[in-house]
Amino acid sequence: MPPAIKKKSSAPTAQARTQPKVRKTKFQADLAPSEDQMVRSLKAELEMTSNSDFLTDALALFRWAVSERKRGHRILSESAMGERKVLLFPRLERVAPEVNLPQAEIAWTPQEIESLAKLATGKPAEPTPALIRAMRH
Amino acid sequence: MAIVIRKLEEYDEVEHFDCGDEPLNNYLKRHAWMNQQKIAIGVTYVAVEQSAPRTVLGYFTLAASSLKREQFPKKYVRGLPPYDLPLLLLARLAVDRRFAGRGLGAALISEALKIALHIAEEIGCRCVITDAYRDKIAWYAHYGFKPLGDAAAGKTQKMFLDVRTIRAAYDRAETER
Repeated sequence: MPPAIKKKSSAPTAQARTQPKVRKTKFQADLAPSEDQMVRSLKAELEMTSNSDFLTDALALFRWAVSERKRGHRILSESAMGERKVLLFPRLERVAPEVNLPQAEIAWTPQEIESLAKLATGKPAEPTPALIRAMRH
Repeated sequence: MAIVIRKLEEYDEVEHFDCGDEPLNNYLKRHAWMNQQKIAIGVTYVAVEQSAPRTVLGYFTLAASSLKREQFPKKYVRGLPPYDLPLLLLARLAVDRRFAGRGLGAALISEALKIALHIAEEIGCRCVITDAYRDKIAWYAHYGFKPLGDAAAGKTQKMFLDVRTIRAAYDRAETER
């Protein structure tokens, strides 16, 4: 007679065999008491219970900030009255591009746009000797 | 003459700058610093001599711009990336007439185009656009700028230089070194 409860097979399923096991990395940090308190209060405010969730969200936010700064964008907050505060975070400035140019509007005529589109979608022109010399300077 | 090209600084001496064109003189004297530092609508680079590092001998101003994809005629849209086209605007370029004919203009445009390449690598830029005075069209064309639109209309002429052409020139210059 077969047993009432079938023993779970220990052999992996076909799917489990093909998918590599995701290895999780342990993250340990030494925090000063004030930082520890800050983490606890942020977790409480955000209604988070696990440190992993806290770290995952903090990481996503930090990654976004780095990618924005890398593109030369500034990170700022804006109040309801329109008052803006720019985030200045020295470590983020390390990834900011050296050349960050302000944005300007150009007034175009339809003919100019047409020829710009034609040039931008076509084969690039061969550099002139003067341009090659200019690049040698 | 050892020339240094760098960003405009607050205490640079610009009052005696004279390129022979009042709007260009006036821009450097009255607006360039303000536009760069306070209202951030353009960055000005100046050429100075090492022995007199505050006296501006020439300058150019750059700003980023873009053209909305929807603005392009439909027949060209397919050949373009699915975003707005990032451009670099070479807004002004001038040399003090007391220093004209010494290659300062060439040094300035060389620096401007190298910055364009750097920007293209860092944050993306498809071409350089300038709005040339009619008597300077040939000078820009010498560097490969192409006129846009109706070449006979207006006081100035918008001109285009593809970043791919600048990159090809840079690569050629590097291999010839």
